[in-house]
Parts: sequence; C-alpha cells; structure tokens
Amino acid sequence: MSTNGDAAVKVVPVRHVGQWIGSAFLVLFVAMLIHTIFSKIPSGARTCRKLAGKYECQAILKWRFGWNDIFHYFTNDLVLKGLLITLELTALAMFIGIVLGVLVAIMRLSHSRLLSGAAWTYTWVFRGTPVYVQILMWGAIAFLYPKLAIGIPFTHIYLVQFGANTVFTLFNAAVMALGLNEGAYFSEIVRSGLIAVDEGQTEAAMSLGMSRGQTLRHVVLPQALRVIIPPTGNEVISMLKTTSLVSAIAVVDLLGAVTNIYNQTYQIMPMLIMASLWYLIVSTILSIGQFYVERHFARGALRTQPPTPIQRLRRDLRGIASKFRTKRGVQVGARP
Amino acid sequence: MTEPMVEAIGVHKSYVGVEVLKGVNLTVARGEVTCLIGPSGSGKSTFLRCINHLEKHDAGELLVDGELVGYELRSEKLYELNDRRICHERSQIGMVFQRFNLFQNLNVLENITVAPIRVKDVKEEQAKKFARELLERVGLEGKEKNYPAQLSGGQQQRVAIARALAMEPKLMLFDEPTSALDPELVGEVLDVMKDLARSGMTMIVVTHEMGFAKEVADTVYFLDQGVIEESGDPKVVLTSPSSQRLQSFLAKVL
Repeated sequence: MSTNGDAAVKVVPVRHVGQWIGSAFLVLFVAMLIHTIFSKIPSGARTCRKLAGKYECQAILKWRFGWNDIFHYFTNDLVLKGLLITLELTALAMFIGIVLGVLVAIMRLSHSRLLSGAAWTYTWVFRGTPVYVQILMWGAIAFLYPKLAIGIPFTHIYLVQFGANTVFTLFNAAVMALGLNEGAYFSEIVRSGLIAVDEGQTEAAMSLGMSRGQTLRHVVLPQALRVIIPPTGNEVISMLKTTSLVSAIAVVDLLGAVTNIYNQTYQIMPMLIMASLWYLIVSTILSIGQFYVERHFARGALRTQPPTPIQRLRRDLRGIASKFRTKRGVQVGARP
Repeated sequence: MTEPMVEAIGVHKSYVGVEVLKGVNLTVARGEVTCLIGPSGSGKSTFLRCINHLEKHDAGELLVDGELVGYELRSEKLYELNDRRICHERSQIGMVFQRFNLFQNLNVLENITVAPIRVKDVKEEQAKKFARELLERVGLEGKEKNYPAQLSGGQQQRVAIARALAMEPKLMLFDEPTSALDPELVGEVLDVMKDLARSGMTMIVVTHEMGFAKEVADTVYFLDQGVIEESGDPKVVLTSPSSQRLQSFLAKVL
C-alpha cells in the first residue's frame, strides 16, 4: 500500500530462474551449431611448398557444409530446370486436387446415396494407400490399361485409341498420382469447411428464394473458405515436398536433378543441403502468401484484423525501445 | 370476400416418430398481423417453417395466397414441386430468424441486395438504391459497409428485416425475432415491426412478447402440444383466457 497518494506503486516482475538456465543452455547449443555450420575441416588433400630445401606441407581446409559447392551449383541450369518441374508438379497436382476435392466434398454431402457412396469410396482408396505406391502404380499404368479408347462401352467398337504411355508420360503420371491423392485429402478439408458453416446461413438463403447452387456459391462456399484456406496453405507446402517422391518414376524434379549431380561429383551432402535450401526458400514464399490470403478471407468474421508480421515487428521494436527507457520495476521519472 | 393470405387446414408434421403438429387450423387475412404464442416445443416455429416449405408438412392443406405450399394438385394427387418452383414460392415470403442469420461473408448492403440481384434479376444499381431506402426505413443509414459481426444484435435483426423486405414479399414470417436480443435492444426491433404492420404488411409472428401481441396483433393463436388451443382477438384472449392451459401459460410468461 502506498502511503503518500502521489507516488506510483512499484511493480517488480517475477524472475524465472529455470527459464534463464534453460535459455543459457539453448544459446550455448545454438552457438555450437552455428560454429559447425560455418567451420572448415581438413579436406584430406595437402599443399606443399619447398622452403629452403625442405618441404613444408599444410592440410587444405574446406567448408564442412561445402558452401562453395552449394554456391557454385545453386543456379546451375539442371538445378533450375528441376526446380521448375517441382513447381509445375506442385501447381498442377494442387489444381487437380482442389477441383476434385470440392467436387467430391459436395458429392459426399449430397442426399443421393450413390453419389455420397462413390465419394466415400474414392477417399477411402486414395487416402488409405501410400502416395509413394500410388506414384509407382501410375508410372506403370500401361501394364493394367495398355490402350485407352473412346467408344461404346463393353464392345470392341472404338472411335479413337491411344497408347497409355503416350497419354501418361512419366510427368503426367506423376501429376495424376499426386493430384488424385491430394483430391482425397482435400475433399475432407472442404467437407469440414462446408459443415462448419452455420445451418442458419443456408436457411436464410433458401428463405429468400435462392437455389441450392446460388446458396453454395454466394453464401456457403465463401464462408467455408475461411476454414478451408489455412489447411490449404499447409497442403500446398506439403505438396511441394511430396513432389520429391516422383524421382521414384524417374521424373527429374529438383531432388532428381540434385541426385543426378551428386551421382557424378559425389558431393552428396552439399547437394542435398542445396536442395533443402531451395525447398525452404519456396515454402517460405508460400507461407508469406498463405498469411495474406488467410487475412483476406478472415474479413467480415473478425472485428479487427490481426497485425501483419511487419506491424508486429514495429510494435515489438517500440516495446523494446520503451523497455530501455524504463529501469527494472521503476518508472523513470516517477521518483519524487 | 377476399381470399385469405394463409390458410392451414389440419396441418400435420412428424419428426422420426414424434408428432410435432397434430392438425393445425389457422387463417390469416390480407394485411393482418397474427401472433403465434405458446410454450417452447409446442410447434410454433415448425408451423412457421412449413409456411415457406423449409419443413415439409406430412398431411393437411397449407395454402399461401390461394396456392398450395410445396405441392401441386393434379388429378386428385399431390405432386411435390421441383426446386425451381419451391424457390419461386419462397422468394415471395420473407422470413426473419431468431438468430438473425445475416450472411457473415457479406456487408450490410450486399446482404440486402444479393437475393434481389440473383433471384429476381434486379439491376445492381436499382437493388442498391432500394436497399438504401430500406436501411433508412429501419434506421440504419450509414451502416452499408459494415459486416454483420460489427453490428449489435438489434441492428443485425433490423438488417435482417430489411433483407427480407428487399424481395418485396407479400407475407412476412417472424420466428421469435427478439428472443436472442439483450432486453434493451428489443424495443428497436419491435418498433420496426410495428411500423411494418402499420404499412399493411401481412405478418405472422412467433413471439413471447405479449405486450407486442396485445398492441399490434389482429389475431393471436395459442399453440400447445401441436394443436391450436385458443385463438381470437388478443385483447380478449390475452386478458381473459378461457382455457386452463393458456391461463397457466400466461401466468408464467407475464
């Protein structure tokens, strides 16, 4: 209790001793890790020079993480081509996945038992088997269906015929495999989004005379999007990484390109680190995009928008600055 | 004599084994305000939702403006209408819900204009102009750009009324429009409804606001356990009820 009314009561924050000790260990560990990342080790080779008739030899040092190799290959044509394939696979597979997912989710919620049953079966099969196996199977689809044709079902009358391998090139097979697999997961995301929209919204739309399609298009889907968008961002980032599995059917994506390089140069770790850096760069860009898309779709649902990272950074910096102006537990200038 | 706006003859409705409506008979004349009162679970809301076919009634006849709701009578058989025809029937009946049900993804103006534009093919400019007039009528001019989450319950409900009126309905249904509101916000919604009643709109109001029923309603129906127990002039029915059930209901509510 303050006895004189004017002076501010001092506030002394609790000291968290355990937190301090933990932090100290963490800082130590991180320092050690950073040191290894930017340290050099003997390469095994030595350089020697003749000094006053005697050879003086020195071990040649190289970056432990092979930074110079990474730097050298970072924008290599093969790597960039592989990266492009990875991006194409991600985009196409997500496109197929999203279209299929929305369709299957709507089928799943249909009153028709046949439609919802078909949707359920699709999800069951494609979610219940490993995507790696599915990629391998799509790569070998010609063993099951050597020829694709348009004609009259159950007869041998065909209008057009193709060889399966001309339609399902390895790239197309990879896109199909990833897209169909994604569709199964995505339909569940869409379904949960549609269910999350209050039933009153549908009733209100119907009471105004809007049709099922109009209700879905103008009222339910836009609101479901708020629930659907955040996991979609995760799915895109997850897809970016899953595409690396297509090396299984010899599609040369980013990982494939990198593997091809290290099979010749034996710089295995540097090349894998390089690939990881590229994946990190792309997924970081995607997460930034995700943040702003989510923010856009939260409009109308929240009274105030959460701050962007830049706004938060500014606020934090202001906070830190004001901390420096304050002594621990005592408002500077509050002293009598 | 002119045709009544709504006529119900022996309307039945069951949900998996539970009979909610056990033969409701009711007539609403044009321009009249009818209040439905009764304990919760008595079937008031279900009956109201049958009128615009949000619920399908199982038996009995339900006519709005002389036409069967949701069905068509052809050679002694009732044929269920297709979605398009049902939508058309609904577009002429406005409904206001207990929980407002404003479209959360649309701002106030869009909430009001979406149905006229999409359902009645009204030009966007014209729809907006009418929406602004309606907002002025419910006392919410200047709120066009707000989203529902930024409005109070009373304001949301007034927007919901404007949204229903934007379709220029011939009949308005109110499903406990003030039950989800803070007591201090009830008045502003009731005022809008009184104004609407004075303008000659045919209204059916499910409500617990006995004061409103007494003041505005032309007829009040007391529904209990799926049947109309008592009906008539609210000044008579609500002050000197003849049935035991209504007496005990009013004793609890008032």
